[in-house]
Amino acid sequence: MINYFSSHFATLGHEFWGLLVGGVANGFIYALVAIGYTMVYGVLRLINFAHSEIFMSGGFASFFLMKWLIGSSTPNAFESVIYLLAGVIVGGLAGSAIATVLERVAYRPLRRRNAPKLAYLISAIGASYFLFNFAAKEFGRINLSMASPFVNHTVFTIMGAPVQMSYIIIAVVSVIMLVSLDRLVATTKLGRSIRAVAQDPETASLMGVNIDRTIVMTFVLGGFLGGAAGYLYGLSFGVVYTMGFTPALKAFTAAVLGGIGNLRGAVIGGLLLGIVESFSVAFVNGAYIDVVAFAVLVLVLLFRPTGILGERLGRAA
Amino acid sequence: MNFRFGKTAALVASSALVLMAVPAIGFASASTASAKPVYVIGYEGPLSGGNAQLGINMKWGVELAIQQANASGKLPFTLQAAWYDDQGSSTLSPAQAQAAVANGKLVAVVGPAFSGATKAAEPFYANAGIATVSPSATAAALATGISNNNFMRVVYGDDVQGSADAKFLVKTHSAHNVLVIDDGSFYGSGLSAVVATSAKADGASVSTNSLPETSSCGGVASATEYSAAATQIKTSNPSAVFYGGYYCDFGLLLSALATAGYTGTVMSGDGSESSSLITATTPPSAANNVYLSAAGGGSGGNFTGKLETAFLKVSNGVTSSAALYAPQAYDATNVIIAAMVKAKLSGSLEIKRIAIRDALHTITYKGITGTIAFQSDGNLVGSGAGQIDFYQVKTGVITQVGHN
Repeated sequence: MINYFSSHFATLGHEFWGLLVGGVANGFIYALVAIGYTMVYGVLRLINFAHSEIFMSGGFASFFLMKWLIGSSTPNAFESVIYLLAGVIVGGLAGSAIATVLERVAYRPLRRRNAPKLAYLISAIGASYFLFNFAAKEFGRINLSMASPFVNHTVFTIMGAPVQMSYIIIAVVSVIMLVSLDRLVATTKLGRSIRAVAQDPETASLMGVNIDRTIVMTFVLGGFLGGAAGYLYGLSFGVVYTMGFTPALKAFTAAVLGGIGNLRGAVIGGLLLGIVESFSVAFVNGAYIDVVAFAVLVLVLLFRPTGILGERLGRAA
Repeated sequence: MNFRFGKTAALVASSALVLMAVPAIGFASASTASAKPVYVIGYEGPLSGGNAQLGINMKWGVELAIQQANASGKLPFTLQAAWYDDQGSSTLSPAQAQAAVANGKLVAVVGPAFSGATKAAEPFYANAGIATVSPSATAAALATGISNNNFMRVVYGDDVQGSADAKFLVKTHSAHNVLVIDDGSFYGSGLSAVVATSAKADGASVSTNSLPETSSCGGVASATEYSAAATQIKTSNPSAVFYGGYYCDFGLLLSALATAGYTGTVMSGDGSESSSLITATTPPSAANNVYLSAAGGGSGGNFTGKLETAFLKVSNGVTSSAALYAPQAYDATNVIIAAMVKAKLSGSLEIKRIAIRDALHTITYKGITGTIAFQSDGNLVGSGAGQIDFYQVKTGVITQVGHN
C-alpha cells in the first residue's frame, strides 16, 4: 500500500493536468444536469427526482439520431460539426419534451390540488421508475455504444497532458449552453419571470407573470441541458436504461454543493465534483470515489450549510 | 358488507379451485401408468441485464442438451427446463433460488452462472438438497466456502485461470509492471487477487486499483470513473493492464483507455469473453488487440459436426465458439441427466434431489469439454493444465490464440 501511494505521488506532476482535464470534462456534464435540478428547485422548491430520466431520454434520442445519420460511415469535417450540433439539439429537445410531460402529468395536477411536498417526491419517483422501465422494455437492457460524429484524438497538450477531442467538445458545448442560459435568465423577459417566480410566486402572479407558463419554461430549459448532457455522456459511455441513475445523483449532489437554486453554484459544484472524483480515482482508489466525493459534500455543508454560493436563484443569476 | 362479500367470493373461488383440481389429479394418476414422469432441470443465470449475453449462451447449451435427451427416447423420464433469470446479480439470485426450490418438479439446477450470484443463492439450494452444477462460476472461494456438497462446476476455478493469465502477461508478453484492476464484484476481485499475487510471484511489479461496477452495467458507480482511471493509466504507463470483471464495464474501460491513448497490453478474464464486449466498446475498434482468457476447456471445447448444426438451430445461428460456456452448460446438463439415470429416482421430491446430488459426486462423465468428475469440494478433478484458453480481439472478432 505504501509503495502504491508513493509511486503514484511521484507521478503527480505528470498526472495532474491530465486528471484535471478529465475531471473538468466530467464536471461539465454534472453541471449541465445539475442546472435542471437547481432551476426546478428554484421555482417550485421541489427536487425533480425524475431528472435522471430526462438525461436518459436525451441520450436515447441522440443515440438513434446518430445511428441513423452515421451508421457505419465516417463523417467528414463538415458533417462532424453538423451531426454534433444535431445530436446536442435533438438530445436537448427530447429532454425538454420529457420534462414538459413530467410537469404536466406528474407535477401540475398536484400543484393544482396544493398537495404536500411529499406527494411530489413520490410522484417523481413513480415517473422515474415508469420511464426507465419503459426504456428497458423498448430499447433493451444492454449498454449500447453510440456512433460518434468525430474521431477522438489528441488535439493539443497542457504541460505534457494530452487533451482529447471529446473533452474539448464537452467543454465547448457546455460553456456555450451554460453562458446562454445564464444570459437568458439574467436579461430576458422570460428570465425575469423565472427569477420573479423563484423569489415570490404570489407577488409575481399579481405583477402579471404567468406562473404556469414560467414553470413549464423552467422545465423546458432544464430539460434541454439535461438531455444534451445525456448525449455528451452517451458519446463516451454509451446509453442504457439505467444510465441516468448515478450521474443524476451526482449532479444533484453538485447542485447542493454549489447551493441548490443557484445557477452558477450548480456549475461550480459540478466542476468541483468532477475534479475531486478524477483525483480520487488516481490517488486514493477507484472504490473510494464516492467516499471522497461525499466526504467533500459533508465538509462543505458543515461550513456552508447552503452550499458554496448559497441558495438563491432569484439574485445570483 | 364488504367483508361478507369478500368471504363469499373467497368461498366461491376456493371451491372452484377444488373442482378444477379434482379432474387434474385424476388425470395425472391415470396417466402415470403409461407416461414417463416429468422432471425439471432448472437454469439460473442472467437472461436480461447488462451482462445477459453470457447467460443466454448457457441457456442455449441447456436447451440443446434437454432437447437431445428427450429425443433419444432412452430416458425413463421426460425432461423440462425452467429458467430463472437472476441478471447475474447477487441481490436478485436468492429470490430466483427460492423460486427454483419451490418448483415441485425441479430436481437439479444448471448454474448459477455468475460467481457472486452463486454465493448468494447456494444456501437456499443447499437447504433443499438441490445439486447445482455451474458452467461458469469460477470464483476460487466458491469451492471452499460451501457446505452440504451441493455446489459443483464443470470449469476450472479462478485460481487456475488467474495464475495462467499472470503467466501469459509476464512470461509470454514480458510485462514487467502490471496494473491489476478489479470491478469490486465477488468474481472480479477474486480473479484479480489471484492475478496480482501470481504476477508478483512471476517477477513483475504489480499495482492495483478498484473500479466498481457502474450504473451503465447494473452497478451503482458512475461511469465517469473510467476517464480518470484511463488518464492515470496513460501517465503511469504500466506495460500491461489486467481487468477482473465483466464485459459491459470492461468495454467502458477500453473506450476510456482508447480516448486516453494508452497502447500497452490489456487483458481480461472469462467475464469479458463475449462478442458483446465489442459492441459495448466505443468505438468498437478500441477493443482490438485486447487479450481475453476463459476456462474454455482447451481447443477441443466447442461443438463440431452434427452437434454444432443442432446448436445453430437453438442459438439462431451463433456458433458455439462465439458462445462462451454454451458447451459447458451442455455438459453440465448432461452430467446431471447421467446422475439422474444413475440415481434411479424414487421417493419424495427431496429424496430424489439428494440422490442426484450424491450420484453427481460419484460419476465420471465424458463430456464435450473433457472428462467430468468432481472432487469433494465441487471442483473438477485434475490440475487444469491445457484447460485455460487465451483469445485476442482481432478486427472485432474474438480469436483463440493459445492455451495454458
